[in-house]
Amino acid sequence: MKEILRYNGLRKSVQGRPVLAIESLEIRERSCVALSGRNGAGKSTLMRIIAGLETPDSATIRFEGQALSWRRACRRMHGQVIYLHQNPYLFDCSVSENIAYGLRRRGLSLREISSRVSEALDWAGIGHLQLRNAHDLSGGERARVAFARARILSPRILLLDEPTANMDSESRSQAYRMIKQLKDDGVSIMIATHEFHTIAHLCDDHLSLESGVLNLQPIEKDSGERKIIPYGREV
Amino acid sequence: MDSLSAATAESFRLLFSGDTALWIIIFTSFSVSVKAILIAAPLAFVVAFTMAHLHYPGRRAMVAGFSALQSIPAVVVGLTVYLVLSRSGPLGDLKLLFTHTSMVIGQVLLSLPLLVALGHAAFQAADRRVWETSITLGATPGRAFLTLVHEVRFGLTAALIAGFGRIIAEVGCSMMVGGNILGYTRNIPTAIALETTKGEFAQAIALGMVLLALALLLNGMLAFFQGRGVMTS
Repeated sequence: MKEILRYNGLRKSVQGRPVLAIESLEIRERSCVALSGRNGAGKSTLMRIIAGLETPDSATIRFEGQALSWRRACRRMHGQVIYLHQNPYLFDCSVSENIAYGLRRRGLSLREISSRVSEALDWAGIGHLQLRNAHDLSGGERARVAFARARILSPRILLLDEPTANMDSESRSQAYRMIKQLKDDGVSIMIATHEFHTIAHLCDDHLSLESGVLNLQPIEKDSGERKIIPYGREV
Repeated sequence: MDSLSAATAESFRLLFSGDTALWIIIFTSFSVSVKAILIAAPLAFVVAFTMAHLHYPGRRAMVAGFSALQSIPAVVVGLTVYLVLSRSGPLGDLKLLFTHTSMVIGQVLLSLPLLVALGHAAFQAADRRVWETSITLGATPGRAFLTLVHEVRFGLTAALIAGFGRIIAEVGCSMMVGGNILGYTRNIPTAIALETTKGEFAQAIALGMVLLALALLLNGMLAFFQGRGVMTS
């Protein structure tokens, strides 16, 4: 699988305390990677850096094979590398307007936007909610709107920060179905999670973040034995 | 007592008979204050946004400074603008003293600290996810700022109303830099002050009623928008 994004020598400290010290991290085309770690291990910080929302202390970046400065990488990534918060924020307007938000920034015609929004509403099964204010939706409905809003932009990479936290089982199943469909559409996905076993069926790789270092965990669902391989180094 | 009743009756007659002199004064007041708030608000909200969301040296001092400047007396602002615009002042050649422009400048300076402080509070209360969601969905920083403004619009509207309330009723600055010229720079508060000293209470009461109605309206709107701001945050 072709590499889309690569970070080398990624370092990040928060108030003088080192949080991330990652030798190398690559996200490949059509891959789905789980990112696990304890609370405060730096999962969200890493995802926010990958999305260009937080600045690392140091890192070299290659996006689609091209070495880029941090500023240029951010400009290239926004809209193509989409980060979904644990509780995605929906703007104080209708569901349709929320979904159209990113498209409006791309200078498409109103007709094109309208047809794509209709398609996204159908995809997420929220056509009946299109005129509702997004702030009036339930947690599960909000997640579906957020997925549709991201998918409509055809992102290269989707970063999901504990996407099923605080969801009931039905909403969880819907979320897993949507993640699977996004993966089938060719979107590379990284999912931060505390419960790897619940998303193991979706993932190609499992990275765990411990003391700021990424370790590749082979996906051996039933062996009960964990072999930890430092990620990004020749082993 | 009789003279007060007569003055009140006369004030109603002046208001509802469409007295030209009275309505020119009301128009001048609104014209100057609306222009001032329209100039001050965009500048104030950009400054408030940078103070709430960016980290740079001197940010805390700016927050404290604007907070302290909220209570600056109108006459001090008036005096400063007067000194700058007077013939011997650095901008004396522009001949702006005793014009609408000088009144607008004074009111912009007067409303700016209040707009910045209240705007800062509104932006600070905004969810950080608004900015991040806009950016990750491909918005430019300018567009993300407008999205943030939309999300905190009730707080910002409350700031606008409070700022407008502050300048529409101020006397000191308008008197000093406007000169209280009849039919030109005389506005509601300066007219009330003048008519009262002349013992012409009818016009003063009529203008006072306009200000009172405006104050009630603005406070009602302020309560409404502050309530909406709390509900949506």
